[in-house]
Amino acid sequence: MFLARIGGTVVAAVKHPTLEGCRFLLAQRIESDRSVGAEPIVVVDWLGAGSGSIVLISTDGDIARTRLGNTTPARMVVVGILDSVQSHASARQE
Amino acid sequence: MRLGIVRGHVTLSPAVAAYRGRTLAILEPVTMENLRAGNGLGGGKSLVAMDELGAAEGQIVAFTEGREAANPFWPDAVPADAYCALIVDSIDIHAKTVS
Repeated sequence: MFLARIGGTVVAAVKHPTLEGCRFLLAQRIESDRSVGAEPIVVVDWLGAGSGSIVLISTDGDIARTRLGNTTPARMVVVGILDSVQSHASARQE
Repeated sequence: MRLGIVRGHVTLSPAVAAYRGRTLAILEPVTMENLRAGNGLGGGKSLVAMDELGAAEGQIVAFTEGREAANPFWPDAVPADAYCALIVDSIDIHAKTVS
């Protein structure tokens, strides 16, 4: 699992049939030095994360398989929206 | 899933039986910088992905990697480690739209 910042939404008419009706968001992985990854990722969201929110992404396809069936290629799923992070001695409110 | 631009297709002969009749696309992953610029460039390390959607050269797809790439073929055992899950129509980056 890792943290990522939501940077936008992805629209796709042609997709794997199990992904019909899913909400796809564009996200960038956040490193511990708060820099973001060079390559954006596309994640499935059921929680309603908005642009700019920081979310926890799970790369385990089990949640997607439970919801979308055994044949779904979905893997990265938003499993939570960040409230706050405690790192070292400092607590930061996002 | 990552985003990739379709750069071409691969034909194999011979290939494992599970690959018969399947389409393999060459994808170039797209960096955020190039996506924002909308310059049609990728920037990532190319890879080959299984495609069942019929993505054409130049189109952007989102592809799954890892174990989940073989899920669409379940219960058959197809050795796939990248799979085109959607063909992107447009991406809204904050206030800016990229097609």
